[in-house]
Amino acid sequence: MIIDVHAHWGPWFFTMDVTRLSLRTMDRYGIDLAIVSATEAVIYDAPHGNRALAEVLETTDRLYGYVTVNPRRLADAERDLAAYLPTGRFVGAKIHTDYTGSPVSSPQMRDALALLASHGCPALVHTWGTSVLDLAALCEQTPGLKVIAGHMGADGYRHAIEAANGCDRVYLEPCWSQAPAGRFAEVAAAVAPRQLLFGTDATLIDPASAFGAVAAAGLSDEIAEQVAWRNAAELFGLPSPRSRNTDGVQGEPEPLPPRLP
Amino acid sequence: MTAFSTERLIGGLTVTLDLDVLIGAHPDRDGPPGTPEAVLGALAAHRITGAAVASLRAALFDMASGNDEVLALAAERPEVVPVGAVDLRDPIGAAAEIDRLAALSVRAVRLFPDEQHVEADFPSVRHVAKRAAGHGLVVLTGGDVRRFWRPFGGLGATVVFLDTHFYHLGDFLVAAADEPGFHTSTRLLNSPDALETAAAHLGPDRLVFGSRTPHTETVVPLLRLATGGLDPAGVAAVAGGTARRLLGLDPGAAS
Repeated sequence: MIIDVHAHWGPWFFTMDVTRLSLRTMDRYGIDLAIVSATEAVIYDAPHGNRALAEVLETTDRLYGYVTVNPRRLADAERDLAAYLPTGRFVGAKIHTDYTGSPVSSPQMRDALALLASHGCPALVHTWGTSVLDLAALCEQTPGLKVIAGHMGADGYRHAIEAANGCDRVYLEPCWSQAPAGRFAEVAAAVAPRQLLFGTDATLIDPASAFGAVAAAGLSDEIAEQVAWRNAAELFGLPSPRSRNTDGVQGEPEPLPPRLP
Repeated sequence: MTAFSTERLIGGLTVTLDLDVLIGAHPDRDGPPGTPEAVLGALAAHRITGAAVASLRAALFDMASGNDEVLALAAERPEVVPVGAVDLRDPIGAAAEIDRLAALSVRAVRLFPDEQHVEADFPSVRHVAKRAAGHGLVVLTGGDVRRFWRPFGGLGATVVFLDTHFYHLGDFLVAAADEPGFHTSTRLLNSPDALETAAAHLGPDRLVFGSRTPHTETVVPLLRLATGGLDPAGVAAVAGGTARRLLGLDPGAAS
């Protein structure tokens, strides 16, 4: 069982054609569930992309959605959160700081994350370099907020260690197109296992990159299970593997067993 | 076995030549030390049976002693194919080192423009490119392919771009369409369809496996190749067939 907490649905502007590869790409790596944001919503038009994603989510139970929030358009975000979170098919929010010109330290990010906290909505936030430290500081100042540091800071993964250790509501996921040797192993050795999640950035990046990075870390069985799905299931309130049957029809969520130390 | 087991995904894939392997260490990084034993051990653990090895000592400090280090290693270890590194900060010395390496029957030279803070339009790059092409050497080069294709254009050079990122695949494809000697490493072609797109446009024999062991996770490009959509002949070409042909390692094989 694997849950990918950082995935996308839709086309990209690079020389690639991957819109139809979502489920096929997941299957190659044994990824059962993915939480996706619409590329259109991330890159250009959040409401239009969110609406398109809502239609896609009606066609499969293997994808859950992020409501993409543009911090510069919080009225749109409020409408979309109100419309889509109650469906149960959208389980979090996505904010890309670069495409929206909204650094983590900006006023609009502060307002956006406060809005998400008020909804009890976990937020996946793009982080790079030292911005992961800004995210942890903002999370610490925002009661109830839970944030996933997308890419765990990429080349700033050592800052991500400091961020996660400074705020227990900061979660880390490793996706990046680069795979420096030992990066995830170093993070996993220094951060509480309950704060580690698995994300791929598919379909922009093939799962090979994050999967290989995690595999190379040689995690224990217990921690590997936490990273693979248990932490994500708890964070997003997703059903555990035993409540999903094999023909893709989703059963009732069952309580998660006690958290591993 | 955990959910992140790679054995079932990689299966029996064997790489017969990895074109992107380094010995030595980056002094501005914590690790790894890059000892030959550790590097070759890591490759063997991933069923990579041949390695085109270059020296960071040569790239960062002293060409001749670093390259001699690799030549000595190749003399001891049959799985090692020596790659000469030259310093683009010293175009005169680099050209002389290329002459020396060619006389020693070295088949490939490697350029480190990022590490040496050299840009694609510096005269040094074109000078070195011409000298290497003149000797018929394969050039392995780092740097942004959108810029570093240019100094090799029109030379009939055989070049492997080691840092082609899938973001820039389109630029590589259009540049390589006019340059039959242009190839790319698969290391950063790690989008869900980059290998397949490149193979469809240029043929799989323009792709070569590169891992940058020990500085990046060796298993990542292996996973991408093993789980991708290339047919078995294409996988074999990428996994060393083409690289061995470029370096003339299998003289009896069809070219």
